[in-house]
Amino acid sequence: MIPSTSYSRDRCVTGVHGLDEILKGGIPYGSTVLASGTCGSGKTTLGMEFLVRGALAGEACAHFTATEPSVKLLENIRQFQFFDMQMVDTGLINVFDMDVLYSWLGMQKTSFELEDVHALIKAITDIVNTIGVTRLVIDSVTTLCYKIRSEQLIRDFLFTLGKKLATLGCTTILISEITSASENALWSSFGVEEAIADGIIVLGDIERMGHLLRYIQVVKMRGTGHSRAKYAFELTPLGVMMTPMLKWGSVTGQ
Amino acid sequence: MARKEVKFSSDDEEFFGVMGSVGVPKFDREMRGGIPRGFMILAVVATGSGAELFAKQFVSPAEEPENTLYVSTSESAPQILNVFNKYNWPTDINVRTMGEEYNSRVLERDLQAARYRLQGFSMADVQRLAQTRFVDDETEDFLTELTDDVTSLGPYFRAVIDSMDFYFNREDPARVMSMLRMMQAHTQLNRGLLLCLVSESSLTKSMEMELGMLADMILKFEVVMVGTDFETRMIIKKFRNAPENMAVISFKVTPEEGITPETVKRIA
Repeated sequence: MIPSTSYSRDRCVTGVHGLDEILKGGIPYGSTVLASGTCGSGKTTLGMEFLVRGALAGEACAHFTATEPSVKLLENIRQFQFFDMQMVDTGLINVFDMDVLYSWLGMQKTSFELEDVHALIKAITDIVNTIGVTRLVIDSVTTLCYKIRSEQLIRDFLFTLGKKLATLGCTTILISEITSASENALWSSFGVEEAIADGIIVLGDIERMGHLLRYIQVVKMRGTGHSRAKYAFELTPLGVMMTPMLKWGSVTGQ
Repeated sequence: MARKEVKFSSDDEEFFGVMGSVGVPKFDREMRGGIPRGFMILAVVATGSGAELFAKQFVSPAEEPENTLYVSTSESAPQILNVFNKYNWPTDINVRTMGEEYNSRVLERDLQAARYRLQGFSMADVQRLAQTRFVDDETEDFLTELTDDVTSLGPYFRAVIDSMDFYFNREDPARVMSMLRMMQAHTQLNRGLLLCLVSESSLTKSMEMELGMLADMILKFEVVMVGTDFETRMIIKKFRNAPENMAVISFKVTPEEGITPETVKRIA
């Protein structure tokens, strides 16, 4: 029998300008997507806008911050017009400090063992389940995984977490810090994240005429066709604004 | 670094004298007037040997109650006060119950963490977690707190630590030893009296030797079988600059006086 080609998975419409078009409608529901990027490439803003657009559609969202205190994160994100502090105050967007979570779980230590990893998975999925989170961002999974010493344990952690979140119908963005987004670079810090993730979105910089241009590229996305082109984007007060690199080039006569 | 000079008023010198009572008159007499002020006394104790009562009796003279400190790592404040009331000893001294503090500050937190791990978060927990932006300062350093408590006491203080086992079992022994040195120096400089209890089983041979050198006086409390009876003994193993005071003192506990020496056998 020839399989039907009309089947398409339900999508989590990111609401991020241009991204849903690249993904032909959005991220397949329940996917775990790695958003990898160099410093200053816009990972946190992309993640936060993903949540805000979900909150505006009435979805419950959660953000786990490990790289900066939530107070600082919220202060920084307030400059964007798409963000409204009310969303945090009313519980549509729930921001959790990983430090606080570690402390509550008795995990204030330099490295995590197997039982700690299990406790962390249970806590995150518990939170997602309790408040019915459908959009989740962990910023960053790199900082979190630094505490997990074994590669196998990192793999187990990400695999189990992704599987449980998918079961709960939660679409997750795991932010990953990389030092280089060049062609030969890995898309993740530990090498295992990219194999386990359902999708990989890379954010980086390209130098053009002495300017650093931000770009975004969907390298992999299971369950949907997508463009693999690099798109230039800017972080405007309205959020992420994308343009194809080629188009950008033609506008400036490059 | 030059030592800070402590000035003693002549009134204080006259009031406190050069010797301090241990709270047991007969013991004071056997020691020819008590213990020289500035002494750090180490009591190596066995379970059931009456050392805890001796420790409480040691602070009972409480010449200046506000300058008298009793630190317990195992008893609660009401338990300690009950004993003081029973023997009619002053109850207005400073009492710090580190064991209770450890239970509430460390163990309860650990228990709560274990509960979260096992039972997960309730909706109320999740809401509280989402609103908690900062981690409480959870660095618990009971040893530094102890050292600070003792070294904050003024001239002619009187203090008891019951017992050092709590610190030896939780901290690096070298660090405990260095804190004890600080407390010993403070005691000497301020003409205080400091009694530290420790179980023999908590010490290695080298720690015992180091403590032996540090302490001005070493008491060993033990329970021995004599015929069919138990006998409680206090052995004065070291008495700095007065070896003639070294002795084996058998004692009993009476409802009127607490520790009451019965027989004294001189060693030297």
